[in-house]
Amino acid sequence: MRRPVTEPAFTIELQQHDGRRRAQLRGRVTLQDGASLWHDLRAILQDALEPTEIDLTGVTVLDGGGAALLLAASAQARQRGRTIAIVGATGEIARVLRLYDCPGVECLRGAPQRKSLLAQIGDGCHDLLRQVRDILDFIGELVVGIVAAVRRPRTVHLSELTMLMERAGANGLPITAVIHFLIGTILGLQGAVQLHRFGADAFLANLVGLSVVRELGPLMTAIVVAGRSGAAYAAELGTMQVGEEVDALRTLGQDPQRFLVFPRVLALAVTVPLLTAFADLVGCLGGMFIGMVELGIPPTAYLNQLRDAMTLSDVGTGLIKSAFFAALIGLVACQRGLQTRGGAQGVGASTTSAVVVVLFGLVALDAVFTMIFRLLGW
Amino acid sequence: MRRVLTVRDLALGYSSEPLLEDLAFDVRRGEVFAILGGSGCGKSTLLRALVGLLQPLRGKVHLFGYGAPAQALEPPAFGVLFQSSALFGSLTLLDNVALPLRKWTRLPEDAVEAVAHSRLRIVGLGGFERHLPSEVSGGMKKRAGIARALALDPQLLFLDEPSAGLDPVTAAGLDELILTLRQSLGVTTVLVTHELASIYRVADTCIMLDRDAKGIIARGSPRDLRDRSSDARVQAFFLRRAPGGAT
Repeated sequence: MRRPVTEPAFTIELQQHDGRRRAQLRGRVTLQDGASLWHDLRAILQDALEPTEIDLTGVTVLDGGGAALLLAASAQARQRGRTIAIVGATGEIARVLRLYDCPGVECLRGAPQRKSLLAQIGDGCHDLLRQVRDILDFIGELVVGIVAAVRRPRTVHLSELTMLMERAGANGLPITAVIHFLIGTILGLQGAVQLHRFGADAFLANLVGLSVVRELGPLMTAIVVAGRSGAAYAAELGTMQVGEEVDALRTLGQDPQRFLVFPRVLALAVTVPLLTAFADLVGCLGGMFIGMVELGIPPTAYLNQLRDAMTLSDVGTGLIKSAFFAALIGLVACQRGLQTRGGAQGVGASTTSAVVVVLFGLVALDAVFTMIFRLLGW
Repeated sequence: MRRVLTVRDLALGYSSEPLLEDLAFDVRRGEVFAILGGSGCGKSTLLRALVGLLQPLRGKVHLFGYGAPAQALEPPAFGVLFQSSALFGSLTLLDNVALPLRKWTRLPEDAVEAVAHSRLRIVGLGGFERHLPSEVSGGMKKRAGIARALALDPQLLFLDEPSAGLDPVTAAGLDELILTLRQSLGVTTVLVTHELASIYRVADTCIMLDRDAKGIIARGSPRDLRDRSSDARVQAFFLRRAPGGAT
C-alpha cells in the first residue's frame, strides 16, 4: 500500500512587476512533496534581491510539514537580508501557519559547533578524573558498608545469597568445564610435540598441570565469570538505577552497598575459588586425555607425575588469585552498574565498560600476583 | 463525517482467553475519541490492537478503509504516543523527531532539521533540540513523543495516557495541543486516559471499558455519560466514587 510517486501537487509561478516579486503558490502544499517544495522555494528566495511576496491565495491544503518548510525557507532568506512576506493565507491555511509560525531566526536553530581537539582532550581528562573519584567514592562507601555489616549482620540482605551463588557458580559449571578441558587439550597438544622431540614425554603432566593450576585456571575462570556474572550484575544494577529502584532503596533506609553489592561480591568470593578448583581438575584431565591419545602415557603414570610436579603452594597461589579476581569482578561490575545514567543506552554502556575494565584489571592483577609470588618464592 | 477507524466484532487477549470481546465502534474524521476505564480493563491492550501491535483473537480493525494490518500502510498513516513516550535514549530529541522524516521523505538534511525543529517548537520544546531524553523531564518526554508522532503529518493520532503523571499545567498544555491540532490540522485523535479533567476538556466521544464485562459498557459524550448514564460503574468512574463507598 505504498503511495505512488507522482508529480508535486503544487505549483509555484514567479511574477515580477513594479519592482516587486510575487511567488504564486497553488494547490496542495504538503510534506509528501516536501523535497520539491524546499528546492523550489530556496531557488526563488535565494536570489530575491527585490522584496518578495509568497502568495498563498491559491493554496487548497497546507499541512504542518508544508508550513514548516515554507516558514523555514522564508526565515533563511530573511537571515541573508532579503525581504520576504507571506500573504493571502485565510481560514485553515492561516491557522496552520499561525501554529507553526516562529519569530525571526528561531526557525533556523542549527547544529551545535564541533568542539576543538583541545576541548575534547580537556573533557576526556575531566571525565577520567571524575571516574577515578567515583571509584574512590564507591570503595569508601563499600568499606563503611562492610564495617556496618560486621557490626549489625542482620542489616545485610543475604536472602538472595544462595540464588546468586547458584547463578554464578553451579550454573557456570558446564561452560567452565568445556573451556578448561579444551585448554588442557590445547596445552597438551602444543606441549606433546615439543616434549616428544626431546624424549621428555613424561613431563607433559608438569607442563599442563602447572600452567593450568597456577595461571590459566584462575584467569580463564575469572574471564568466564566476568562475561557471565559481571556483565549480568552491571546490567541488572544499571537497570535498577535507571528505574529508580536504587533510589527507592535509599528512601527505605537501605544501603545499596549492603543490599545489592555485598551479597554479590560475597557470592563471587565464595564461588569463584570453587569454580577455579573445578577448572584446575578438568584442565588437568584435558592434558591427561592428550597424553593418552598422542603420547600413549597411561593415566596412572600421568597422575603420579602430576602429584610429584605440583605442590600445595601451586594450587594455593591459584586459589588466592581467584578470590581477588572474584572481588575485582564483583566490585567493578556493581560500581559500573550503580553509576549508570540515562536509559537503555546507559545500561549498555555500563555493561560494556564493566566487562572491559574487569578484563584489563584481571590481566594486570594477575601480573602483579605473579611477581609477588615469584619474590616470595611460592 | 468520514470514518477513519472502524472496529467490528473485535476480541483481544494475550492467550486464547479474551480480555475484551465483541468490541465495535467507529471514529470519525476530526474527532477526539477517548477510551476510558479503570486500571487493568484493557485500554492499552485495545490501543495496541488498533495500531497493529497486537493480533486480535477475532474481528477486524479498519484504518482509513483498509482492513490490512496497520503497519502495512507506507508511510505510516498514523502517529502513536506510547505511555512511556518510548523515545530512543541514544538520540537527541531532534533526531528522535527526524527519524521518520529521514526514513519516509526525500527531504534534504537541512529541511529535515527545519521540519523536526518546527514539530518540537509547536509542542513547546524549542531550545531543547540537542537534549537527550534522559536530560528532560517526564512532561517534556511526553511532548517530544507527540512531536515524533506528528512528524509525518498523520491524520490520525493515538495517544496512550498522554497526561498521566504530569502536573495540571503541563497536562492542560497537552490538552490544548490536542485541540489545536484538531482545529488547525484536522487531526483525529484516539486517546486512552483516565484523567477526568482531560476527558471533559478534549473528548467528543468516549467508550468506557470494564474488566468484568470484558467489553464496552457505555458510549457517548463525556457529559452525557456523567449526567445521564444509569450504570453504577460509569457513575463511579465519573464521580470518582470507590466501589461500595459512600456517595
